Amino acid sequence: METQLVLEKWQGVISTVIIGAKKEEGGSRSDTVKIGGQITMPLLFKEGATPNKPRIAFEISDIAPFDFDEELIATYGKAVNDPFAWADICVNEYKAGLLCLKMQGTHPDFGNKSPESAAKFISALLSKVKVPLIIIGSGDDAKDNLIMPACSEAARGERCLIGCAVQDNYKTLVASVLADGHSIIAESPIDINIAKQLNILISDMGLSLERIVINPTIGALGYGLEYAYSIMERARLAALSGDKTLASPFICFVAQEAWKTKEAKASSQQGIIWETLTATSLIQSGADLLVMRHPKAGQNVSNYIEALFKG
Amino acid sequence: MQKFKVTFLPDNLSVAVEKDKTILAAAISAGVYINSNCAGDGICGRCKVIVNQGQVHSQPNGIITAQEKKNNVYLACLTTIHSDLEVLIPDSSRINFDKLTPEELEERLSGLYSKAEDIQSVKAKFQDKVFKHSPFATKLYLELPQPTLNDSISDLERLYRALRSFGEFPVVATGLFNIRQLGELLRDYAWKVTVTLGRRNDAVEIVLIEPNDTTARNFGLCFDIGTTTISGQLINLNSKKILGTKATYNQQAAFGSDVITRIVYAAKTDGLEKLHNAVSDTMNQIIKDLVSEHKVSLFDVNCIVCSGNTTMIHLFLSMDPAHIRREPYVPTANFLPVLRAAEAGININPRGLLSCVPGVSSYVGGDTTAGVLSSGIYQKEEPCILIDIGTNGEIVLGNRDFLVACAASAGPAFEGSGVTSGMRASSGAIQKVSINKNDFSVKYSTIQNKLPRGICGSGYIDLLSEMLESGIIDKGGKIKAAGKRIRSTDNGVEFVVCFKEEIQAQADIVINEADIENLKRSKGAIYSATAILVKHLALEFSAISKIFIAGGFGTYLDIEKAINIGLLPDLERSKFVFIGNSSLAGSREILLSSQAMAMADALASKITYFELSVDPGYMEEYSQALFFPHTDLTKFPTVKF
Repeated sequence: METQLVLEKWQGVISTVIIGAKKEEGGSRSDTVKIGGQITMPLLFKEGATPNKPRIAFEISDIAPFDFDEELIATYGKAVNDPFAWADICVNEYKAGLLCLKMQGTHPDFGNKSPESAAKFISALLSKVKVPLIIIGSGDDAKDNLIMPACSEAARGERCLIGCAVQDNYKTLVASVLADGHSIIAESPIDINIAKQLNILISDMGLSLERIVINPTIGALGYGLEYAYSIMERARLAALSGDKTLASPFICFVAQEAWKTKEAKASSQQGIIWETLTATSLIQSGADLLVMRHPKAGQNVSNYIEALFKG
Repeated sequence: MQKFKVTFLPDNLSVAVEKDKTILAAAISAGVYINSNCAGDGICGRCKVIVNQGQVHSQPNGIITAQEKKNNVYLACLTTIHSDLEVLIPDSSRINFDKLTPEELEERLSGLYSKAEDIQSVKAKFQDKVFKHSPFATKLYLELPQPTLNDSISDLERLYRALRSFGEFPVVATGLFNIRQLGELLRDYAWKVTVTLGRRNDAVEIVLIEPNDTTARNFGLCFDIGTTTISGQLINLNSKKILGTKATYNQQAAFGSDVITRIVYAAKTDGLEKLHNAVSDTMNQIIKDLVSEHKVSLFDVNCIVCSGNTTMIHLFLSMDPAHIRREPYVPTANFLPVLRAAEAGININPRGLLSCVPGVSSYVGGDTTAGVLSSGIYQKEEPCILIDIGTNGEIVLGNRDFLVACAASAGPAFEGSGVTSGMRASSGAIQKVSINKNDFSVKYSTIQNKLPRGICGSGYIDLLSEMLESGIIDKGGKIKAAGKRIRSTDNGVEFVVCFKEEIQAQADIVINEADIENLKRSKGAIYSATAILVKHLALEFSAISKIFIAGGFGTYLDIEKAINIGLLPDLERSKFVFIGNSSLAGSREILLSSQAMAMADALASKITYFELSVDPGYMEEYSQALFFPHTDLTKFPTVKF
């Protein structure tokens, strides 16, 4: 006798977020990236549609990064000093469909670039690189509130994903994103309640829930991954049960956590494995967008996604 | 040891104290009351005084500003005395022990101000009470037959025999004092005496034997000993009539604003004694005022019933409260036998009796038992909730079949403590607020329509709700708007409710983000405790038929706004019933009926105490409640802003 599968039917749907705008949409990207849209828990293809695969964004920085491991520096070589060359390698050599740019050089301690020069840099990058862009501030709240509006304006119409809004500092970023037609990353400290509250606060300002991507904050494998995993799982269960305020796709900053670990620092191979395993685990818990650094880890995860989705 | 003379102005009271004592300690010795919410830990900054003359040493602290330092402002608790001093206590640091006005009392004890007109009045609620009239103390007039050779039983036997003609009284005690004077009394007054019988739990005691017929003069007292306010009523035990009601602030406030600080203070040298004296002094003053106003002799006041939270009762009876605070949180006693009032330092008839309403646990006290009794939730068929909103909020859920109670430490924010411009609900406190959505101008009303001095709990509820509705703060409690009333300070962003010029004060009345955070935690604690209790019993809020709201603070509550900020669950407004001081009402019923007293005992045993801190879901529920009105907006469907 054939076994009958018990299938769960959900009433909620994860919102679809589009990153990048092509010419006809008012931007200048060669392609757009869609994430989200699931009506099922991750990878349960029989229970409901998962219209968009998880996507990988390659992380780059406007200045030579200070938190990149030797292995990573060696991999990209001199290009880490030249963001344009770096972006070019990611896109052309490693086939990145999406770049995640960190505006590290605007931080008061790491260059303190002005809003004008940051804006100029964004414009230049957008004209040189044609993939959709994620732009992240330096993490200094006060400075980000000066820099990010300038970056947002410089990228107007390109439908970037801009972050990170946090509970204590979200208003400036939301206002810019709203004005310039982008989407936003809402960051919460591995806390489902704060994730939900922040989404409500952002949507209260008029930015629709369909333009929010949640950064749930993650830990690398062995460094708290399971906390992030269960928070993501709980948020997804709530969203699929009909809670619209949690129905946002997830972005996970995989590489910055994986390469921080002792294991990753022990050997170059181990670092790649750690980045790969952290990313693949998070895909199981519903990650939609993975920010990665090492091309080999990127390739591994990409292969993994293809294999999963082949059915 | 060298002693210095410290003179306090404007009272012009002096006291001699040893070197190195703090100004606060000197003030307490002098009987001058200085605000000290943190009981002298140097945290609250409420005890600022101005040293006009003399030498002091002060510990560094982050509270006194450079400008204040220049003006010789010191924290009384951190400043020690090194010479003769003249100290001025500014108005802002004084505890206002003014008695509540009759209007305030009316509001506090029975009335309510609320838009919800359909709420049934408190008085109507209490009229359908069922307890038989059998007061704590009863007077019987006896005319004894004179002894003869044929009827030669002793005087005392003769008295008992006469009593038995009224019914089978199991008299267990008479007291040597009464027996000693009995022979002379009976003969001097032609064998006509009045006997006062008092109930001591299940037995009866002859409290007093008096000459002639005094049965018309039988009075009792009931008290609610609150952490902040003490209320008392004088009752005619024959007619059940309330002769008078008085309330005043608990003088223990000088030793800290919440029960935990007071428990800590009780452990200090003479701490327990000082706390006990503060509460008995407050009560004796109320009693004195009541009897003189109503021309009743103290001698005719035969009994008193008190309800209060467990800590208050411990301090009142000078029982060590230390273990209430320590795991596993065990009080010395929940059920107390009937005592003599004099033993607790209460001045009524020297042989008068004292009963304390039994408590449930360390954090659910006799005030809650009395509240359950007077709200009548123990008789209801459908589940009801009783919420007593205070520093230590108590919540009871149940009906005639079961009763479960928990305590939520809501903190003192809604009582005006620990918030920048907070004050207790007394004269000059802003209690109602509305904000113009366009220019953020503020309209307010104060208690007694005095110039505003600060904001009380109901004022904060209104203020938060209005700030949310007018978009000044976001649902997280952060100030998001800009305008002339909104400014950045060292303590974060603040909103000016009243500018000092318009209220003729030293400082503006403000609310800042830290205050909002405090209030958010308080309301979150009350709501989440209620929600956990409901959830724990596998119920839904919709299954609750009535929510009774009690407490001195609760009487000013605007229900609509309390729901807006997520303090109370979003239910049909007609389900909410304000019952004012339910603790005082309960103790009055106990005073007037032995049935009610027996019921209180039964209730205290029946109520199941639910310890929130061991519930795994509480933290989750609490963090969800730290949002306006709630992280799960679907729980507040009628709240729109």
